Amino acid sequence: MAKIDPSSPVPSSPALSSPDQVPPLSSPASRLSVQVRHRIGSLQIDVAFELNQSWTILFGPSGSGKTTILRGITGLFEPAFANIVSYPRLASPTATGTTLIDTDKGICLPPHKRGMVLASQKPTLFPHMTVLENIRFGYPGASNAREQEHLEELTTSIPKLFRIDHLLRRRPAELSGGETQRVHLARATMARRIHTLLLDEPFTGLDRALRDELITDLLVWQEKSQVPILSVTHDVTEAFQLGAEVIKIAEGRVVEQGPVAEVLAAERERLLEQLNASKGSQA
Amino acid sequence: MDFEALWLTLRLAVGTTAILLVVALPLAWWIASGRGAGRALVQAVVALPLVLPPTVLGFYLLVALGPLSAPGRLLIRVVGHPLAFSFAGLLVGSAIYSLPFAVQPLASGFAAVDGAYVEAAAGLGASPWRTFWRVVLPLTRGSLLTSAILTFTHTVGEFGVVLMLGGNIPGATQTLSISLYDKVQEFNYAAANRTALVLVAFSLVTLIVVYWRGAGRRFVLG
Repeated sequence: MAKIDPSSPVPSSPALSSPDQVPPLSSPASRLSVQVRHRIGSLQIDVAFELNQSWTILFGPSGSGKTTILRGITGLFEPAFANIVSYPRLASPTATGTTLIDTDKGICLPPHKRGMVLASQKPTLFPHMTVLENIRFGYPGASNAREQEHLEELTTSIPKLFRIDHLLRRRPAELSGGETQRVHLARATMARRIHTLLLDEPFTGLDRALRDELITDLLVWQEKSQVPILSVTHDVTEAFQLGAEVIKIAEGRVVEQGPVAEVLAAERERLLEQLNASKGSQA
Repeated sequence: MDFEALWLTLRLAVGTTAILLVVALPLAWWIASGRGAGRALVQAVVALPLVLPPTVLGFYLLVALGPLSAPGRLLIRVVGHPLAFSFAGLLVGSAIYSLPFAVQPLASGFAAVDGAYVEAAAGLGASPWRTFWRVVLPLTRGSLLTSAILTFTHTVGEFGVVLMLGGNIPGATQTLSISLYDKVQEFNYAAANRTALVLVAFSLVTLIVVYWRGAGRRFVLG
């Protein structure tokens, strides 16, 4: 459950009051179509969904299979059954998708050919590289002048955006927790072949101020790059703050998909009741 | 002190180490990331030189590299002379004999790399090749050095395979250990003692370096 500061007045809380922050992508067509069936222990994952908004949230309690779905999309493991197709950024009616995996046809692209860039929940900065080397890891050398220009532009703009430009020469061991998380997310956005950015609980365990900053940074980045984001959370406040499309997962299945205000209405009510109750007990 | 034998031994050890690093890197990576019966088989074959008498290895190599076998005859045709009783033959024999010393430190080093880094690299779009060179190998530099040092030292100290495969040809196949054996056969104990001391001192210093580095790493990590 979200950690809520009980002293902040509920009605003006930015997390719960502005459901339309995420701008729609230039095209409403599906960017990614996902079908995954896989069994882990007693959990049977069986999901099918489409990503057609700029920011989509996989919402569900711990252990409902969210991380496994992200790993399957990235290609870190091969599910028992999967059919995942990505579609180009500027979709035209004739545009055909790229099959990332189709277990029935025996197609399974390796992660580096999928463009599904994943930032894991636990930051994994490479300890032997500086911050600069870390964020450039996903963009290994440019093959032509245009790419070179793009890389140089990213190398200046991304550190500035994520406020890590003063840290570029440091090693991960010399960073604070918040700085580590900034670098972790900045590194993912710099990947060269990025079609979709997958974020596994990117803000869990961060204080509120940092979370708000990172969300703003990611939204600014997204507006410029037009890369769709699929993030995982079990935090109602975060879902409302992003105002994103929500895919609600429970016990490995999609329960509902739609705008956050509809899909998580019940969760929001419960949260508000709790807040009121805690305010009441304080008074 | 037999400088010709010393020089030959050093060349053999450097050559063997170079060959084995090239062979052991992919092999150790495969062992560290593989599974199943195939992996157990490869591990067992790699470890064989540890348990077999060197004479067994030397004998088979002598047969395999000589004119008695098809690969041996092919080699003789390609190289122009039999590999047995030559420096090149010694290199082949040493590489096989020291294989476990090159592979095992690397394999355990690779296995100890946090899989989260490998997955992070893949999640950023890095190919397995790039992940190996830029992430895995830099994180296992210590194991790589241990592997190289142990291979080098072990090659300096080998005797049985060299004797079986190389004979005792000064300048071509007479290494320090063989030269020492020769001196003892001639009852030249003073010369034998000098050679033996060199080998003991060299091995001791190298092992101290290996253990010292190992202890230092653990200390830093702990």
